[in-house]
Amino acid sequence: MNRQQCEDLIAGILQTSRAGELQVTLNGVDRLGTRFNDCAISQNALKLQHTLTLSARLGQKKTSLSINRLDDKDLIKRSIEQVFANCAHMPDDKELMPAPGNLIETPEHAFSASAEQIDIDTVGSWVAAACRAGGSANIDLAGLLSIQKMFTAYGDSAGGFAYERSHNCDYHVTASDSHGSGWAEHKGVSLRERDVLRATRRAIEKCSKAQNPVVFQPRPTTVILEPQAVGDLLSIAFWYGFDQRAADEGRSAFSNHDEALGNLSLYSDPANDLFPTLSFSSDGQQLGKSIWLDHGHRQQLVTSRYWAERQALEAKPSPANLILSGDGNNLQKLIESTDDGILVTRFWYIRPTDPKTLGFTGMTRDGTYRIENGIVTHPVVDMRWNDSVLRILKNVIASGIAVATGEFSAMVMPPLKVAAFNFSSLSS
Amino acid sequence: MFDLLKQACEIATREGCRFADARYLDISKQRIMSRDQALSGCNDSEDSGFGVRVLYQGAWGFASSPNYQAAEVKTVVALAMQIARASARALREDGVNWAPEAALKLNFQSSCERDPFAVSLEEKADLLVSANEIMLQNESVKRAQGYLMFKRVQRWYVNTEGSELHSDVTSSESVIWAIAVGNDDFQERNWKAPSSNRGFDAYDKAEFLLQAERVAAQAEEKLSARISPEGEFDIVTDSENLSLTIHESVGHATELDRVMGYEVSMAGASFVTRDKQGEFQYGSEQVTLMADNTLEHGLATQGFDDDGVPGQRWEIVKDGVFQAYSTGREFAHYIDEQRSRGCSRADHWSSIPIVRIPNLLLMPGKQPLSPDELIADVKHGLYFEGMDSFSIDQWRLNFQFGGNAVWEIKNGKKAGMLKAALYQSRTPTFWNACEATCDANHWQAHGVMNCGKGDPMQIAQMTHGAAPTLFRNIRVCRGRDS
Repeated sequence: MNRQQCEDLIAGILQTSRAGELQVTLNGVDRLGTRFNDCAISQNALKLQHTLTLSARLGQKKTSLSINRLDDKDLIKRSIEQVFANCAHMPDDKELMPAPGNLIETPEHAFSASAEQIDIDTVGSWVAAACRAGGSANIDLAGLLSIQKMFTAYGDSAGGFAYERSHNCDYHVTASDSHGSGWAEHKGVSLRERDVLRATRRAIEKCSKAQNPVVFQPRPTTVILEPQAVGDLLSIAFWYGFDQRAADEGRSAFSNHDEALGNLSLYSDPANDLFPTLSFSSDGQQLGKSIWLDHGHRQQLVTSRYWAERQALEAKPSPANLILSGDGNNLQKLIESTDDGILVTRFWYIRPTDPKTLGFTGMTRDGTYRIENGIVTHPVVDMRWNDSVLRILKNVIASGIAVATGEFSAMVMPPLKVAAFNFSSLSS
Repeated sequence: MFDLLKQACEIATREGCRFADARYLDISKQRIMSRDQALSGCNDSEDSGFGVRVLYQGAWGFASSPNYQAAEVKTVVALAMQIARASARALREDGVNWAPEAALKLNFQSSCERDPFAVSLEEKADLLVSANEIMLQNESVKRAQGYLMFKRVQRWYVNTEGSELHSDVTSSESVIWAIAVGNDDFQERNWKAPSSNRGFDAYDKAEFLLQAERVAAQAEEKLSARISPEGEFDIVTDSENLSLTIHESVGHATELDRVMGYEVSMAGASFVTRDKQGEFQYGSEQVTLMADNTLEHGLATQGFDDDGVPGQRWEIVKDGVFQAYSTGREFAHYIDEQRSRGCSRADHWSSIPIVRIPNLLLMPGKQPLSPDELIADVKHGLYFEGMDSFSIDQWRLNFQFGGNAVWEIKNGKKAGMLKAALYQSRTPTFWNACEATCDANHWQAHGVMNCGKGDPMQIAQMTHGAAPTLFRNIRVCRGRDS
């Protein structure tokens, strides 16, 4: 749906509703997804999904209701009546805030004209080209090529409105044979065939260097974490640990914790060149640049509008991306500066083990190598690790150039060289 | 409701598709969240649409739409065929080998004595807020939370083989938790009302209040608990804790699509290679793991799967020996089986079915044995209750699990509480260390409502069951420095 269609639909809904306050969110996604394994396409699907969410407020009571049929005017009318009827039955919540009523600037940083042109035949041909590369190398390839074409619109009865189109492109590929595996990806708001082929070649190269891994006895070790590993770790750490209210109330690793976490800066910015995002949150707040760690020093964390008002702080909605500053070293330089260490391509199954210390566990996967005297010498068997994100950030020795990554959210991360990373046991 | 689905299959047949199926789903969900004395949210959703899958020119194509109308059905079939043509650019050498299945007509309805969508918001709010108020009576508890989640999925399925299937399944889930805050620590303790295919009849306010009091007291106790020791210990797991270990180390490991490399790029593969079938000593003789997609109230009990195969019951591990995989129709031939086990499920009308874990149950011990008797046999060990941190490698071998509450066992009795305790093992090592499991009087089922698999990820639900079980000499580590 274009801006005018969304504006008309939202205006019509807001006009119908006179009982109380209404916030309306419209989401649309066209997703082309091609999945492959063993150098052959296994699943290929086109997904079209629209969602209309109505959030009604009567005094200090609020409920929401979502439907996926936008062409059924009777259903929409019934849904408006229903969401207000539900609202009347809710107990009061003193923390409810009125609709923000913001007219939001939407520069569409995350819209890509080239991604908009990609169709299912193009996706099929790119995947077929990747599969041919795998076949030529006599290596199995498995992965996903996904193009999401999205729009998001928001309106509220306090006069707020926003509309923005965006794209999200994801190609990730695992190259494997019976002796080892390698992995690579391309993430961002656009994708070209050469990005697909470059990532494919990188996965194949990683696989060829991962043949017949040997055991490295797990122990605290200097590691170089490639950007994917850093992104996987920090995205889950941010989700669990970076809330201002929890910190203020003693329910966070950041409660009574003022020690600097190394020297890197962690921030969010919808206008980031490498992985831009939407300019507003689902509840109608503008997303601007927010700094969470400034050269290692904690700044104000994610803050709800209620908590911001109560504590006289600026509201800081949950961000749509995370960016970690890097020192600008290339990966090779980080490797050359390492006498004895482990190079990690990516992590797997990261889960919290202790919220008080932001402790997590996880595994290495698809390309873990020994570094000796500045050279990658041989692959090693994957390992489990148990460590604290607070300690990992404090132990960063050097960092590299940030790139777009992120399994579940938009991340821009550099490779990190970290001292005494705690490997705890062997994997397969 | 079947007419347009039949029309989709007729068009596909006419256009030369070897096989096609069509599903229409009507999904209702409600999630109610509580925070201290208030409800922090009540979200309802209504979602309906249909998907058409075609096997055309040797390749799969799938398309879907929310608009369930005759003209749209034609468009979606054409689109699915166009997608199949695109898929044919990279065909599998041996093609798609689709296991036969007789045409079936079936109408399945899960048990739902009290429709949760008909229960008033006031009653639901009262359940959650009353529990929160009890938890907040404990002065150490600074935050009390909970949620109720209800889902009803009505599904109509038709395929070109003549099957016409309908299911109507209602599922319920609820969790309450307390966060206690001390001078230099905070700790969470929760209670999960076992998720199941039941309605609001699954919930009893008196039970919620009782559990709320227990949860709050144990959250407070965790604050002053000592950090777990490390080393090799005997461990006893309660049924909830073990249900997640069963899920991760047996359920996923024995999905045949993983074994065949279809999930390598995301969820991973499996160490349970085909040569192990019928021979591999997965666990000790105490270990029999039964798959049962006919289990009453089981979350994976849906009548039939999204390949049109009815729910079945089979042994995955019998007396410790690995017997059989979970399969769908596309995978049965890889192990020379003539029929699918009926495990192919999609999480939405717009999703493609993939192999999912069935209801998977560790069968109770045959001899009378209570949890107290089990613990009495442990000189120095740990007792793990509830689910907490969980992580397993992509081969389903190396795993590490925590517990929501952990006690030290000394001289056959539960001693003080421990914090940050984790057990770490390899799947065959762990299951072969199983010495005993309690009898059927102590067996409980627990639900998993958020099993992620696939790429893009799909969320599935299934039930696991176990009685408290003893494992000898398991490595224990901790998530926090001492």
